[in-house]
Amino acid sequence: MSVATWVNETLVRDKSERRIFAVLGLITVLLVVGVVTGVVGLSFLLFQVSLVGMYALLSLGLNVQWGYAGLINFSVAAFWGLGAYCAALLTAPNSPLGLGLHPVFGFLAAIVVSALVAILIGIPTLRLREDYLAIASLGLAEVIRLIILNERQWTAGSSGISGIPALIPWLPLTRLATTASVVVVLGVLIYLFLRRTHRSPWGRVLRTIRSDEDLAKALGKDTYQFKMQAFVIGSVIMAIAGAFYAHLNLYLDPSDLVPLTTFYIWIAVILGGTGSNRGAVVGAAVVIAIREGTRFINDVPAIGSLGLDVAPLRLLFVGVLIILIMRYRQDGLLPPKDELIWPAAKDKASAPSGGSPKPQTGGDD
Amino acid sequence: MSGDVYEGAHLGKADAVLKTVGLEKAFGGLVATDDVSIEVERGTITGMIGPNGAGKSTLFNLISGFYELDEGRVMVNGDDVTELEPHERARKGLVRTFQTPRRLEGMSVREAMLVGPGPQAGESVFSLFFSGDEVTREERANIKQARELLERFEIGHLIDQPSTDLSGGQLKLVELARAFTTNPDILLLDEPVAGVNPTLANDIKRFIRELNEEGQTFLIIEHDMPFIMDLADPIIVLDQGKVLMEGTPDEVRTDDRVIEAYLGGAGP
Repeated sequence: MSVATWVNETLVRDKSERRIFAVLGLITVLLVVGVVTGVVGLSFLLFQVSLVGMYALLSLGLNVQWGYAGLINFSVAAFWGLGAYCAALLTAPNSPLGLGLHPVFGFLAAIVVSALVAILIGIPTLRLREDYLAIASLGLAEVIRLIILNERQWTAGSSGISGIPALIPWLPLTRLATTASVVVVLGVLIYLFLRRTHRSPWGRVLRTIRSDEDLAKALGKDTYQFKMQAFVIGSVIMAIAGAFYAHLNLYLDPSDLVPLTTFYIWIAVILGGTGSNRGAVVGAAVVIAIREGTRFINDVPAIGSLGLDVAPLRLLFVGVLIILIMRYRQDGLLPPKDELIWPAAKDKASAPSGGSPKPQTGGDD
Repeated sequence: MSGDVYEGAHLGKADAVLKTVGLEKAFGGLVATDDVSIEVERGTITGMIGPNGAGKSTLFNLISGFYELDEGRVMVNGDDVTELEPHERARKGLVRTFQTPRRLEGMSVREAMLVGPGPQAGESVFSLFFSGDEVTREERANIKQARELLERFEIGHLIDQPSTDLSGGQLKLVELARAFTTNPDILLLDEPVAGVNPTLANDIKRFIRELNEEGQTFLIIEHDMPFIMDLADPIIVLDQGKVLMEGTPDEVRTDDRVIEAYLGGAGP
């Protein structure tokens, strides 16, 4: 009950959203019941939770870039891969570097390397029109993938890296439970970080840039700097997600860096509601549900009896879902509702302006 | 028209907030701005008129730094800003509005107003986490200022509205109010009443005059002749990228060259 109250007070903004959260709550309950009754394997569920967490991180990262600032980044998979390879190369004892360091160093390296790459790609493109970043990032993704594939002496190439250590092995939990907990903690921390930055003058300038960059410039905002910050923050979050994946899967090879991941993340952000952190998380969960859920769809007797292999059609389902969303809920499942105003300043300063016709933007803050 | 018709603007003003020297800009073969030197005296509402294609908007873009100059210099308060980016010029006190303001999607009027003041502590990610109190203090002051300004412009009731719901005229008012929150030395308004109904246009005129009486300097492009003639003094007339003349509204109204420029140079 208290969970429901908390969700209702902090996450739900209007009636239609209450329905969406109710459905999400129902699914959660069903999954828990499934685990208790043994229909759903616990380790399977924990692995899925970890995947959702990782996708949520990626979506949150892209949301900073595309949702806040309007930056079109088509190299989500590449930044994720950079993070994953940083973690794998530094921590796996049998990687080409053979260092076997503590996972903390892998995460730190992921952050530093992705920030540097983001700055390098941002310097020539962020001063230009938005489409140049799109083109450059599309190229960057392939360049990074091909470098990792071909520079065998550094990256082990297509044979991949195995023997990546698990996270926090001394916790009295199963490996997957630990991993799932780690991603949940990471997700919550990053979510809180982003929420604070979003509902602030900083987030407001980014949204202005997204709508009308010239206006932001005319008001004295150094739009290049703001775009660079958003791009770097988003890319670093993606790399953290990648570093986490290395420790989730314990094995990594360049085929994980295919552009498909990038587009799944774009779909998650758009489904969830561009510019909304809540939406990015929910969108990530929906995409994983479709991606992983369709594996089992042939096991449903009614579909199995059709004599049709439905599972490989999952991309089709994603497409249909997008069409439905765009038709019936154009702004996504949980579009941004909050005013981007520093919450601490809002309570006292804006409350007396009551009697306004539409206080709907208020939310909880 | 022969070259000597172009008298140029009045130069050598005592206290010029804005000064341009020999601005030149060509797009391919078309010379859009040709040796434009103007000065805007502190405390005035200086108007800028000229027939379509005279190069008024180009001149605004050159002054505010959105177009790159081929030749010439721009000075604000005596400082050379020619090499500066648009946002740096804005911080020097030269702030402009746009002819067709875009609506800030997903933002309330309050948020749209709060983008103006700057630089704010809360615009640095670092301050958000390490000097939250300062951010809160500034934000409160800015919200207060925004509300007072909107109330003064008689659109206080719109503060919670999504800015996408405003009419064109209301949007122009919000733009003017927001530009004013940057605390500019000179405000460049690009057609402040284009597409605005006459009642609201009169309001806008009144507010501009009020701000001016408190010391705000304006440079205003406007096509609406009664509006600009009533509001501005002096008025600079552009024609074919050059400064035709500068004078009081009466001088401009009765000047043969101005009439000829507007009628398309059909005379002898």
